[in-house]
Amino acid sequence: MTLSIWRYSHLILAVSSSLFLLVASITGVILSVEPINNKLQPYSISNAEGLSLAETLANINARYDDVISVSQDQNGFVSATVIIDSKNESFYIDPITGDKLGPIIEKAPIYQFATNLHRSLFLKTPGRLFIGLASLLLFFIAVSGIVLIAKRQGGIQRFFSSVVRENYAQYQHVVYSRIVLIPIVILALSGVYLSLLRFQLIPETFITHEIDFDNLQEEPLLDYTNFELLKNTPLSELRDIEYPFSEFVEDYYLIRLKNKEVLLNQYTGAPISEKKYPMVTLASEWATVLHTGQGTILWSIVLGLGSLAVPFLMFTGFAVYFKRPKTNIKNTVPKEKARFVILVGSEGGTTLQYAQLLHSQLLALGKKSYLAMMDDYTTFKSMEHLVVITATYGQGEAPSSAIKFETLLKKHIQKQPYHFSVVGFGSTSYPHFCEFAYETNKLLQTTPKANALIAQVHTVNDRSFEAYTNWATAWGNLVGLNIRLTKPTKLAEKSHKSPFIVLEKTEAQDMIDDTFLLTLKNTNGAQANSGDLLSIVPGSGEQERLYSLGKLDDNIFTISVKRHPEGLCSNYLLQLEKGTTFSASVVANKNFHFPKKAKKTVLIATGTGIGPFLGMIRSNSRKNEIHLYWGGRTEDSLKLYKPFIDNALESGSLTTFIPAYSRTQTEKKYVQHLIKQDGEQIAKVLRKKGCVMICGSIAMQKEVLNELQSICNRYLKKDLSFYQNRKQIKMDCY
Amino acid sequence: MKRLTYKFASIGALALIFLISSSFVKTPSSVSFKCMIQMINYTGEKAYVVVSLIDPDGNYVKTLYVQGDDDEWFPDLKNWWKFSDGSNENIDGITGATIGNGERNIISLAFEPSEIDSGHTIRFESAVENQEYYTVDAEIALNSATIKNKVDGKGYIRYIRMVPNK
Repeated sequence: MTLSIWRYSHLILAVSSSLFLLVASITGVILSVEPINNKLQPYSISNAEGLSLAETLANINARYDDVISVSQDQNGFVSATVIIDSKNESFYIDPITGDKLGPIIEKAPIYQFATNLHRSLFLKTPGRLFIGLASLLLFFIAVSGIVLIAKRQGGIQRFFSSVVRENYAQYQHVVYSRIVLIPIVILALSGVYLSLLRFQLIPETFITHEIDFDNLQEEPLLDYTNFELLKNTPLSELRDIEYPFSEFVEDYYLIRLKNKEVLLNQYTGAPISEKKYPMVTLASEWATVLHTGQGTILWSIVLGLGSLAVPFLMFTGFAVYFKRPKTNIKNTVPKEKARFVILVGSEGGTTLQYAQLLHSQLLALGKKSYLAMMDDYTTFKSMEHLVVITATYGQGEAPSSAIKFETLLKKHIQKQPYHFSVVGFGSTSYPHFCEFAYETNKLLQTTPKANALIAQVHTVNDRSFEAYTNWATAWGNLVGLNIRLTKPTKLAEKSHKSPFIVLEKTEAQDMIDDTFLLTLKNTNGAQANSGDLLSIVPGSGEQERLYSLGKLDDNIFTISVKRHPEGLCSNYLLQLEKGTTFSASVVANKNFHFPKKAKKTVLIATGTGIGPFLGMIRSNSRKNEIHLYWGGRTEDSLKLYKPFIDNALESGSLTTFIPAYSRTQTEKKYVQHLIKQDGEQIAKVLRKKGCVMICGSIAMQKEVLNELQSICNRYLKKDLSFYQNRKQIKMDCY
Repeated sequence: MKRLTYKFASIGALALIFLISSSFVKTPSSVSFKCMIQMINYTGEKAYVVVSLIDPDGNYVKTLYVQGDDDEWFPDLKNWWKFSDGSNENIDGITGATIGNGERNIISLAFEPSEIDSGHTIRFESAVENQEYYTVDAEIALNSATIKNKVDGKGYIRYIRMVPNK
């Protein structure tokens, strides 16, 4: 509930103020150049700060007969107004020599224009009101943005942890908004303050001096150079000093310092009146400096960049909004007649795309399928199978299309019994991986008439199409349907077919546990690294299968294949003769490359998952520490890889090899048990910025991640996601 | 040939006389005053103040000083703008920054001797964004006997003081 309110407000605020913000931010960028430009003028005298006011005035008076005032601006430039040939002249001076340095900087027409547009859009008072309001809205946009980021990241403490990339606009929007948040909030608040001041909603208070004119003395006469205040105040404290207008004793020196105003008797130097500036005046000055960057180059640059970010954030923000797939689902089957109901909990719409794949496949098979969002849950009179496919938002919250689901589920009890299965979409680099899917599953388990078809939630990490299609096939088998999902072209990576020659192959009779190794040579110079995938299509119209590549040498790769009795692709590969050529394409899998920088690496695999690791170990010419944990059925299972491993241990490219066999001991030993045993060493690897790589079945991945989670908690006092975000945990599981 | 020389000599002499006499005409030095504009305490934007010389019939003669540097607001000082804009007067070089609430500005004003004690006045008119426009905020007679007297303003100006320049 709360999420949609925040998101809606964020959007509405942005839409309603967009034009004003666009104008204000672009002119703001222009205006941020002005203070930098001014500050760079050569009117600053480096060793003048030490001068006292008395010395400064003496230096100036020596050069000019009739001085009216001396001022110092935000840039520290000292200027004087003097009468020369009965004309007022103002210019910058050197307070040490009294030399004229140059004319007062005039506001260039471009800045004048930008200032007017920035302040009032050339609409005078109504314009100022609009800009003031836009400033306030900008502040609210920033606040709602902070909340949205905190929710997305799974808590305010994870505010600055890395952002999961969904698409360009979303990623840039989140990443940049976090960086420019501070200047934007400061700009917005100081802008609001200045507007309030302008509309007198913050009352300005002024200094008024009460002068007892009757008791002004002309004695004891003192030269101004001996006036206490002028002697003891450094030039750096000065705003300006106005000389006595005439020689009447009623005319005095008016001295404005950083924090106070003082009137000095021109004959005796006695203070006539002294008033501190009120808080409002000082606060207003701060607001002005913070808003304009006057006098500081660095802050002006920060403000300029902050301003520049506003149009960029507007652009990416609207792009996020328009790119978010709209949930216009067209159902051909009315919901009363649907046997299959697919409900989707989606945030960005990606999950919906995946659900649609299943939906259209069911329809293609002639099944009555109905697709809807989770919040559309109601009574489905003919429902036999309910499939819930859902993402998770932030800290295990419901995504925007599933907010009312719990309530609805309790409200609409189905009359007929039905089966349900839950698929969770998420990313393991977030701490609350698929939490909402787990909660939904629990909820359904306690719902009347609902029976679990698959007791466990099937999770899909980082939108893995393979994981999803595996589930779909398994689910199809349970409901008696042959489900073969095809990757939509949008999701399919561009790949180029390239020829591979079979160099070596384990013969059918030498297979152990139905597993065999293939050594392939690419003849077309295709680039691939260990961990990349080889996509093989076993026949026309068939779906691609992916195998993890181990790179043994230039152009030479190995894949480790498990033969399934009915497996199209594995049997196709098994019957290939040595020397035959077939075509396949390389799919880059950058997230599963061997870390270049890590000194220590732990590799964990079961069965054929060892394939890519064989290549990684072979390429470890620098002999960095590598520990390989491998789980197989029996000691025999190792035979296939044994020569390779012995060789690597001997040459030093592999440090240790620790196998676990699940079928030999009386007590079954799995690879996760090894991880638990060696927890301390593994923690050490993670602490030293080493990397843990996991390759094999999803079931193994789950168990190993559980162990790693407790190792992180126990030895490192951190969540596993911390290391996942740092790419210290890499996975390729199927 | 001889006549031509005479001719040149006479032209040269004439020119010399003219030059000398004209420089004499120029010298009667202008009279210069220091003038202080003291503002009242008010809230709002900084004030635009225009100082003009007015002839005995109450007509604008010329602009002496414009306190205000953004011509966007000049038309707000209606009477003066009608005269100054209407007569294409060049006011570059006699403009200065605006001053606000409670502040004061000291300027130098110069007059021809003929303008003094001849019924001319100095007019100060003022305007503030979105607030009232004073056609005559303060007016001082250009009279050497009374010019040193403080003159109170009616609008944003508290008073005007003038003293002869050193």
